[in-house]
Amino acid sequence: MSVKHRILDGCDVETFILCNDVEEGKTLGLRLMAELGFDDADVVSCEMGGPGVRIRLRGYVYRPSADYQWYGPEVEQDGTHA
Amino acid sequence: MAHTRSNGIEPRKVVLAPLDPVHDVGLKLIRRKLVERGHHVTLLPPDLSIEEIVARAKAADPDFVMISRALSYGISELLAKFVDLADAAGLREKAKLVAGGLSMKPVIAQELGFDAGFGPDTPVEAAVAYVEGRELDLLGGSRRQEKPDLTAGFTYKFLDSEIGSLCTAIAQQLIDWANKRTSPGIQRAQLRVEMESQRQACPEAYSRLRQEYAALSSGEVKEWYLTGKHVSHTRPITQKEADYIRSLAKNAGNLVVPRSQEVLNDRNVFVQYGTGCPVMDAYHINLSIAWGARGVVHFDPSWGARNEGLLEEAWSHEHDGTVLTLDNLRLIKQGIVPGILWQVRAHRGLNTPETVVLAHLSGADLTKINIVYGSLAAGTDPERLTVDGVEAMKLAAKYNMPYDVVTNEELAGVPAAKAFAGMLIVATAGVLLGGRPILQPLFANSPEGMITGYTEHNFIDFNVAKMKVLSSIIDAPIWPGAPVGFLTQTQDRCQSSVMTALHAALALNSGATAVTIASSDEAYAGGPITAPARVDTLKATAAAFRFFGEGGIRPTQEADKIAEQLRQGIVEVLKQVAARGDFVASLYEGDLGNKEDGAYPGRSGKGTVTLKQ
Repeated sequence: MSVKHRILDGCDVETFILCNDVEEGKTLGLRLMAELGFDDADVVSCEMGGPGVRIRLRGYVYRPSADYQWYGPEVEQDGTHA
Repeated sequence: MAHTRSNGIEPRKVVLAPLDPVHDVGLKLIRRKLVERGHHVTLLPPDLSIEEIVARAKAADPDFVMISRALSYGISELLAKFVDLADAAGLREKAKLVAGGLSMKPVIAQELGFDAGFGPDTPVEAAVAYVEGRELDLLGGSRRQEKPDLTAGFTYKFLDSEIGSLCTAIAQQLIDWANKRTSPGIQRAQLRVEMESQRQACPEAYSRLRQEYAALSSGEVKEWYLTGKHVSHTRPITQKEADYIRSLAKNAGNLVVPRSQEVLNDRNVFVQYGTGCPVMDAYHINLSIAWGARGVVHFDPSWGARNEGLLEEAWSHEHDGTVLTLDNLRLIKQGIVPGILWQVRAHRGLNTPETVVLAHLSGADLTKINIVYGSLAAGTDPERLTVDGVEAMKLAAKYNMPYDVVTNEELAGVPAAKAFAGMLIVATAGVLLGGRPILQPLFANSPEGMITGYTEHNFIDFNVAKMKVLSSIIDAPIWPGAPVGFLTQTQDRCQSSVMTALHAALALNSGATAVTIASSDEAYAGGPITAPARVDTLKATAAAFRFFGEGGIRPTQEADKIAEQLRQGIVEVLKQVAARGDFVASLYEGDLGNKEDGAYPGRSGKGTVTLKQ
């Protein structure tokens, strides 16, 4: 089981992305979340300033009422099952 | 030989030495604390060579040598050299070597041969504890075990006799009017009390009462009672989920609380929960309490207010708001630790009296009731909510349960003077019925604030004016909310947290008894609030209280002017309602908020009020 499943609800990624405008920043941000393996991702905030956007992205691991697996099989250091 | 002092502490000799060109304030703080506790401390000057430090330390014959390094360049080489020289000089035969400072990582210190290392986040107390041979639990903050009484010490006497006379006359009229009437909401509340007393004792009686209850219900709730079909977007709680909550409850007595948040212990800061899922709620409640919340508020789904009847059993809901059932509330209650206030809101819909019953049966401390807000901004028919609201206030008085009287109709655009007039009327009715209402002004950048310019230059004056006028009218507790800072927060986490924290600090610095705060997700509508977003604003609020302390926040002269305008407005509205002589008619006709303001009399439950037999 992935360590990701120990996340209570969502995982925010906050960074600065170099881009030309807000829309490009959002698109790149969501691509980043997909690359990180978050299927249920959204842009929480995004503001253009200087060479890019200060952006906060969220990947929901568990929305309320989901089938939580917080304490499923033990997670090893390398992220594999015990 | 060292002798133990009367305070039980054995005095130790400690040498403190900065490995920087300037003095480390951390060492000075440690010196102060060690000296206060009777230890012998030598603080060496900055900019000494390592050889000089070792020589001077050796001469002092210490028990501990504490080295501090703020600058990071060359740190490993310097510290390794220090350890080597200390060994060569025989310093370690008696003394323990400790390294700390801004650039220090405990693991590195120990790898280099130090006996201990303290990083930049280590409190001074940890260094003192180490010298005294004590373990210091860095997370060992505490939380109050006793519940505060938000209404203690308030007399509910009117300080403004003109407003007091008007409120009393109007409130008495609305009580007399409501006393002659009943509704399905009142009947279901009475049934619920009977059902719960019969549920175990007499299943047959319970089953018969349940059928009566179903007949008084509507929509999907009624369908569930009749057919068992789940209400949309809900599913039963599983055994595994109930076990999650039980495991939280089991460990609640050992809740780990960060010391950094202890400043909130003396403030009554509430947070709302209502993710939809009692399990997620239990976790959010638990972590909010850990980070300093003194109270939690149950947030239910909006459809629950529009349907006649409340479900039974435990349910998870896929959308905002956690379904109000006795079983859900009892599950959630397990995650609430001693000393924490719990509010279950009953303020806006067709189940107001029954919600107060459920709040009581599940062990809640507070509820929320306001006829005017629910009628004009939450969709419930004014006549119906007046009858149900009076019953709810009677029940709250019977159960000795305080309740806030919220004024969120300001968000719809109703001016504060009208909203406050409505709040004061309802609160007066509550007092006449033997209850303990709490005034809940909205701290926000409300439409009125923007249109009039009250909030053009700052967010202090308008909110302080609200506190000033209310506290000059009646001696009652004030609990701004809910939550504070509406329409000032953006989706940006930092901005949102700062706005929330400053509004919270303003509220409690202005004489409020409690305050309800949002998460840093307040302005984000794309998904559920997350746990870190709850921690964000509790951290920010603690920082704001630490910053302001008892220092106060100074409004401009505008605050007094606005307060006077608010008082005049309240008097005018009350005179109009009193002259009408019919509180319910005033609600329909817009005396307490009209369509131009943005208030609309609700339709849910229209035509369901009947005269008592």
